[in-house]
Amino acid sequence: MASKTKKKLSENILDKFSIDFLRNQVLKNAYGNDDTVIAKLDPRILLIWYLFLGLVPWFVSDLWFLMGCFLLVLVTTKLARVAGLVLLLFGIGVFTQTGYLFIVALFFGGDASTIAPLLVLTLKVATCSLASVTVFSGLDPDRLSNGLMWYGCPERLSFSISYAYRMLPMLMEEFQNILLSFRMRGNPPAHVTVWGKIKYLFYQVKVVIHAFYPLMLNTAKRSRTTVEALEIKGYRYAAVNPQVKKMKLSTLKVTYNDLLFLAVSFLWIALCVLASTLF
Amino acid sequence: MMELAKKQTATQSQKLMVFVLTMALYGLATLFTELIPQFQAGIVEFSVEYFLFIPLTLAMLFDPLSAALGAATGELVFSEIMLGQFGGLGELEKFLTVTIGVYIAGRMVKDPRNRKMVGIAAITGTGLQLLMGTVVDILKVQFAVEDFEAVAGLPESVFATEGFAFLNDLLFSGILFCLLPTLFLVPKLYGKIEPLLGMRPRDEKTWLGGVNVKVVVGAVIAFAVACAAELLASSGLSLVEWEASWAESRTALAIGMVVAAVVVVAVLVVLKCKNRKEKVTQS
Repeated sequence: MASKTKKKLSENILDKFSIDFLRNQVLKNAYGNDDTVIAKLDPRILLIWYLFLGLVPWFVSDLWFLMGCFLLVLVTTKLARVAGLVLLLFGIGVFTQTGYLFIVALFFGGDASTIAPLLVLTLKVATCSLASVTVFSGLDPDRLSNGLMWYGCPERLSFSISYAYRMLPMLMEEFQNILLSFRMRGNPPAHVTVWGKIKYLFYQVKVVIHAFYPLMLNTAKRSRTTVEALEIKGYRYAAVNPQVKKMKLSTLKVTYNDLLFLAVSFLWIALCVLASTLF
Repeated sequence: MMELAKKQTATQSQKLMVFVLTMALYGLATLFTELIPQFQAGIVEFSVEYFLFIPLTLAMLFDPLSAALGAATGELVFSEIMLGQFGGLGELEKFLTVTIGVYIAGRMVKDPRNRKMVGIAAITGTGLQLLMGTVVDILKVQFAVEDFEAVAGLPESVFATEGFAFLNDLLFSGILFCLLPTLFLVPKLYGKIEPLLGMRPRDEKTWLGGVNVKVVVGAVIAFAVACAAELLASSGLSLVEWEASWAESRTALAIGMVVAAVVVVAVLVVLKCKNRKEKVTQS
């Protein structure tokens, strides 16, 4: 009975982590939430906000202040309706950055006193990454790249962001198709025994690596088409032309909502500073 | 003869093609590695975090700098920005170390058909990237945690875990996911993938030349920048340290900040309401 449940559980997890699931989560994260409060804000304002919350916590080690910042980004992450998988990854990321350090420190003769500095470190890491989750997955990719461009980021970067978001679904589908065709034609080793399982794992890895051979050739063809299309439109000339940039960025507009968002954040931070001075 | 000499380096649009190609492929691969949880068997970590064979292969076949920059950008855009895991200034470190590792590996290979050289270059590039990452990581923890030496057991544990992770990554992921796939893919793709981008396969004539002093100096400078960025992102504890001498006025300052914030919020709310009313009356 127990083994049956275990088997079912592992099947369930494997089901969850199929490529389709990953694709859906990524797409949901990229395109699925453009109607949230965060997504409607001006990207420039959000980037300033991120610059503060992504940098300042690193330089301050006051527990009250860090807690306040952490709560603030927690609320904004909730507002941005970030996909579950991203939050799970965030949790794993924070743990692997600091949690395991604590365990190892215990192993080397540390004790409970190790917790305090590590808690501060954890709060810093968590605040910065949640702030980035809010901004970079709460915002529409096009708005994000426009915001970055306004601040003078290289055109190459904003082009890469727009390109990535448009090509990713296609690339993932193609990769999956190639994998499926390999699987259809392949003859995987039996994986009942432990040795068989190891052999099966190596077989899977080999299939993934082999799958990149056709994928590389296909993508090479596609990137040539992309670049040629860009050249026809005069991309390399437009990329450095200030007039084109101005036209592209004319859609950006700061409204009262954006300023209000900044002001409320500032109020909250100020309250945290006040709390840290009082207690 | 002039024509031949001109053909040595790729044209601008071909460089852009290589950039786009590497970015898309490596970005896709890092996206998967970011999503697949790492699993551990005993103390050996089976981290499939290394699809570095993709940019390594492409850097050996095409223009190394475009491939290296494309790989780093791809990782940044696909797995950091798209998944919302952008780590701010700290990402610069990863960006630069990947660029250096891939670029140097790409410059080392003269003839992609020479398997021995391809293998040496692949493992050198991987090792360089991992080593730089390890050095930066150790420095980072040393600066990020206050009283690093005072915390019991922490310094040894950091050196032990980082050193072990380096060896583990190099010997396991490095060989399995970087060396072997590169050895498999480079000779197989050689001569097949270049025509698709309208280029000639790399040989003695179209080769950029090996790793020289200029490359090394450039790499060292880039690594220094990477270290500085990472440390700036994680250290600087003393930069904004509250001074004890004006401790009393701190509360006053904080109250001032709160009051200012309240006033700003109130003014904005009023302005917003007014704006809306005007819109209503206009329409």
